[in-house]
Amino acid sequence: MFFPLLSPNAKRREQSRFLQAGNRMIAGLLFLTLPLVLSGCAALSTRSLPQPPNVPGKALVAGVPFFAQDELQCGPASLAMALNWSGVVVQPSELTPEVFTPGLKGSLQSGLIGSARRHGRVAYPIAGSEALLAEVAAGNPVIVLVNLAFSWYPKWHYGVVIGFDQGRDEVILHSGLIANEHLGSEVFLNIWQRSEYWGLLVLPPERLPATVEEEPWLEAVAGLERTGQWQGAAAGYGAALKRWPKSFAAWMGLGNSRYSLDNLAGSAEAFRRATRLQPKNGIPFNNLAQVLNKQGKRKEALAAAQRAVDLGGPLVDNFRHTLEEIKAQPAPTNKPRRKK
Amino acid sequence: MLQKIIKPMSFFLVFSFLLLDVSVHTAKARMIDTDTVIAAQQKEAIQARVTAFLGREDARKVMEQHGVDAVEAQKRVASLSDAELAKISQAMEQLPAGGDGLGTVVGAAVLIFLVLLITDILGFTHVFSFVKPQR
Repeated sequence: MFFPLLSPNAKRREQSRFLQAGNRMIAGLLFLTLPLVLSGCAALSTRSLPQPPNVPGKALVAGVPFFAQDELQCGPASLAMALNWSGVVVQPSELTPEVFTPGLKGSLQSGLIGSARRHGRVAYPIAGSEALLAEVAAGNPVIVLVNLAFSWYPKWHYGVVIGFDQGRDEVILHSGLIANEHLGSEVFLNIWQRSEYWGLLVLPPERLPATVEEEPWLEAVAGLERTGQWQGAAAGYGAALKRWPKSFAAWMGLGNSRYSLDNLAGSAEAFRRATRLQPKNGIPFNNLAQVLNKQGKRKEALAAAQRAVDLGGPLVDNFRHTLEEIKAQPAPTNKPRRKK
Repeated sequence: MLQKIIKPMSFFLVFSFLLLDVSVHTAKARMIDTDTVIAAQQKEAIQARVTAFLGREDARKVMEQHGVDAVEAQKRVASLSDAELAKISQAMEQLPAGGDGLGTVVGAAVLIFLVLLITDILGFTHVFSFVKPQR
């Protein structure tokens, strides 16, 4: 409605100075609001699925069981579907105490993530429809958070995307009481947008996501450490090292996990690899010293601890304590000598 | 009655305080966990990005306008905490990446304002009179 004012016709008419000033103001206002209008339009117009390269036109993940949700229990139900697909046999009702927050009458995203970890699975968040399609095409179901109503009257809901069909412009979900629900992508993208396109993969630790990136994966695996899932964590770091053999943090994580699993030789090996990748970083030397000490290799342990202290850094106090602790221990009993 | 309680009570208290002291001293020697390793790496990456940004020509010009030379600015970045660095890095992500000349200069001005503001709050610098240092 403002646009005719900018047309050549209108320009000829605007001889009066008042009009000119008015026009300038309107043009200015238009210029200022243009980005708003454009972004608003964009949000409403890109309502069909993107077509990322290397992703087929349709896909359906096999082997995702469906659990009809009880009232308010879409979180536990969705997580149970993803967990069972990943090989963890569990009923939604068993997950409720881990996931559901009664006071909120719902489940928080962090609740889902924490619970997945407690069952030894890597919880890997993704965002956006391109990642969603790539993951589903690679055979990974995706838990999505959607808002079924409005931003000012939210009705949050979790469902599991198990497929899509570009030809029919549909997304296929296990959601609520409906298995294999075919939802038009326009509707799906509208309700998903309100969670800023939040999605969650629940994966066996040896299975990297299709859209995996190094740092988020390592963070997700480190989450397993926090719940004491050392076996899973070791597998997750192992998978990372197959993809990124020079990942310092992955070698460190592998060393820590193996240490907690009492695999001292394996742990020492992992920390040695880490020291070779970052020879000026004291952290792997500190951890290597602890492992060697536990193995009874006191001399080597002292050398590694001393190296860590020499290298310094923000954790140098910690390194010093490691060194002192090893020094303070009584020298190993003279069993070998006595034998001679 | 009170006399009866006082002795065991004081023993108990002394004992608890001893425990407290010991726990503080032995907390240090440990394996460095993976979370710490990842966090340290992230901090390094962010520090490198902010440092690289301050090395840019447009950023240097804005700093000169504030009377801060590049070496000093780098020192200040090195003294920032993780949270402060993250704040600056976030602001950097919202700047136009290449863009036109105008955009980047405006962006640099905002960012450098931020660096100076944060270092002011910490008491390293005193560019803005309205900031009272924490210490």
